[in-house]
Amino acid sequence: MFKYLDFQKLNSILQYDQYDPLYFTTILFFFLFLIVVAVYRLLSPYKNIRVAFLILFSAYFYYKAAGNFLTILFGTAIINYLLGLGLNKLSGIKRKLFFIFGLLFNIGLLGYFKYTNFFLQNISSLFEYNYGGLNIILPIGISFYVFKSISYLIEINLENIEPEKNILNFILYITFFANVLAGPIDRANYFLENTKEKYFLTKQQIGTAVFLIVLGLLKKVVIADYIGLNFVDRVFDAPERFTGVENLIAVYGYTLQIYCDFSGYSDMAIGLALLLGFRLMQNFNSPYKATSVADFWRRWHISLSSWLLDYLFKPMQIKFRNLRIYGNALALTITFLICGLWHGANWTFIFWGGLHAFYMVVGLFLKRPKEKLYKKLSLSNTWILKAAQIFITFHLIAFAWIFFRVKNFDYARVMLEQIFSNFQSEVFPQFVSGFVIVFVLIVLGYLVHFLPEKIEFFIKDIIVKIPLPAKAFILAAGIWIAAQFKFADLQPFLYFQF
Amino acid sequence: MISDRLKQTILKELNLDDYEFQDDTKATDVPGWDSLNHINVILAVEKEFGIRFKNVEILKLKNIGELQSLVNSKV
Repeated sequence: MFKYLDFQKLNSILQYDQYDPLYFTTILFFFLFLIVVAVYRLLSPYKNIRVAFLILFSAYFYYKAAGNFLTILFGTAIINYLLGLGLNKLSGIKRKLFFIFGLLFNIGLLGYFKYTNFFLQNISSLFEYNYGGLNIILPIGISFYVFKSISYLIEINLENIEPEKNILNFILYITFFANVLAGPIDRANYFLENTKEKYFLTKQQIGTAVFLIVLGLLKKVVIADYIGLNFVDRVFDAPERFTGVENLIAVYGYTLQIYCDFSGYSDMAIGLALLLGFRLMQNFNSPYKATSVADFWRRWHISLSSWLLDYLFKPMQIKFRNLRIYGNALALTITFLICGLWHGANWTFIFWGGLHAFYMVVGLFLKRPKEKLYKKLSLSNTWILKAAQIFITFHLIAFAWIFFRVKNFDYARVMLEQIFSNFQSEVFPQFVSGFVIVFVLIVLGYLVHFLPEKIEFFIKDIIVKIPLPAKAFILAAGIWIAAQFKFADLQPFLYFQF
Repeated sequence: MISDRLKQTILKELNLDDYEFQDDTKATDVPGWDSLNHINVILAVEKEFGIRFKNVEILKLKNIGELQSLVNSKV
C-alpha cells in the first residue's frame, strides 16, 4: 500500500519552506483545519489533552511560516509563564524590579530582532558611514506575541489577574495558530477562560464563524490581493509613470486594500477560533465610517489601539496630568510615534505615526471651539455634519496611508506631485476601460463598507438560521470563489511583516 | 453608594445636567467621559476633595464605586 503514498508530497507538507507557508487562504489549510476541528471535538472532554493537541497544531502552523523561529516563540511562552508565577510571589521593591526585568526581557527581544539594524544604520549615517547592517531576520508574528506577553505581565502586576498555573493553557495563549501571526492581540484573562470552558458550539456561533471566514476570505483574496497586484502595487512602485488621477485612485485603492487585507485576516482568525470555542476580540468596526481620527482609532486594529491606550497612553496621561490638555497632547504624541515604530523600523512608519499624533492633537485643541461653532450654525447632530466629518476623516487617513505604504519619502513626494500638479482627469475613462475589474472591485468594496450595519446583521442572521449542510455549502462556495481569484504566487497578509 | 459631592463634581466637569451613577458604572458608560477627558475628571475630583491619588491607584480604577472608595480612603 505504501507505494501509493507520495512521500515527497508528505514531506513538503511537513517541511518548512519559506515560499510555501500554510496561510489561511490555502486549500491545504482548510483541509487540515477540518481534521483539527474533528479531532478537537473528540478530545474535548479531556481539557489538557485537547489544549496540548491545539499547541501541537499551532507549533506545526508556526513552523510552516517561520521555521526554526518556533524555538523563540515557545521560549518566549515558557519564560513569560515563569515570569508571571514569579511576579505573583513577590512584593515591594523586589516585585517592582522583577516586573521591570520581565518588561525588559520582552522589549529587548522585540528590540533586538526588529530595531537593531535600524538603530545601527541611523547611528552610522550620523557619522556619514554607510553600514549594511547585521544579518538579523525578523521572526514572523513577534510584535504580536511579545505584546500579548507584556499585557499579561502588566495585568498581573496591577493585580487585575492571577497568573495562569496550567503551563499548557498559557503556552496556547501565546502560540494559538489563529492569532499568532498577526493578532488580534488578545488579553490573557479572556483567552484563558476559553481554555477551561466546556466545548460546545451554538447554532449562532457556527453561523457567525462561517460568515466571518467566508467574508474574510473574499475580502483578502478577491478584493485586497486582486487590486493590490493588478493596480495598487504597480503605481506605488513607479508613481512617476502614472498620471495624478491614477495615483489618486491608487491611494484610494491602497486604503481599501489594507483594510480588506488586515480585517479579512482578522475575520478569518476570529471565525476559525470560534469553531474551536475560542472567542477572540473584535479587531475592526467599519473604520472608514469614523467621524474623527479619534473615532477611527476606536474602530481600526482595536486590539492594538486598546493595548496602546491601556498600557502606554493612560499611564503617561496620568503621570503628566498636571499639564492638563498639554499632558494629553504629549502622551498622544509619544503613543502614536511608538505606534508607528511598532509597525516597522523605518522613518516612513514613524512619520505615519507622527501624522496621526498631529491629527489627534489638533483634534484635541479644536474640540471645544468646534462644538461651539456647530451649535452656533445649528449643525450639531445633522447628517450633513456627519457626512462632512466622515469625508474629511477618510481623506486624512488615506493621506497618512501613503507614507505607510511607500518605500521611502521620495516615492511619497512623487505621488503627491503627480496628484497636485499632473492630475489629467481626462485619463479617468481610459483607466476605467483599462482596469475594469479593479475599478469595479474598488467601487464595490467601498459600497459594501459603507452599507448600513443592518444589512451585515441580516446576512449573518440568514447564515445562522440555515441548516448545517447549507452552511457547509456556503463555506465551500466561498473557498471556491476565492480559488478562482487566486494568483500563482501566494500573497502574504500585509500585517505579517510587522 | 456614590456621594452627592462626588456626583456633582463629575457632572460639572462633564457638563451634564444629571446622571444616575451606580457603583458599577464605568467611565465609558457616561456621556462625554472618554479616554481623553478622563484625566480632567480625575483632576477635578482631586481638587474638590483636596487629595492626590497615586498614579497606580488611578490605573487600577474599574468603576465609579472604586473611585468613591479611593476618595473615602484619602479624606
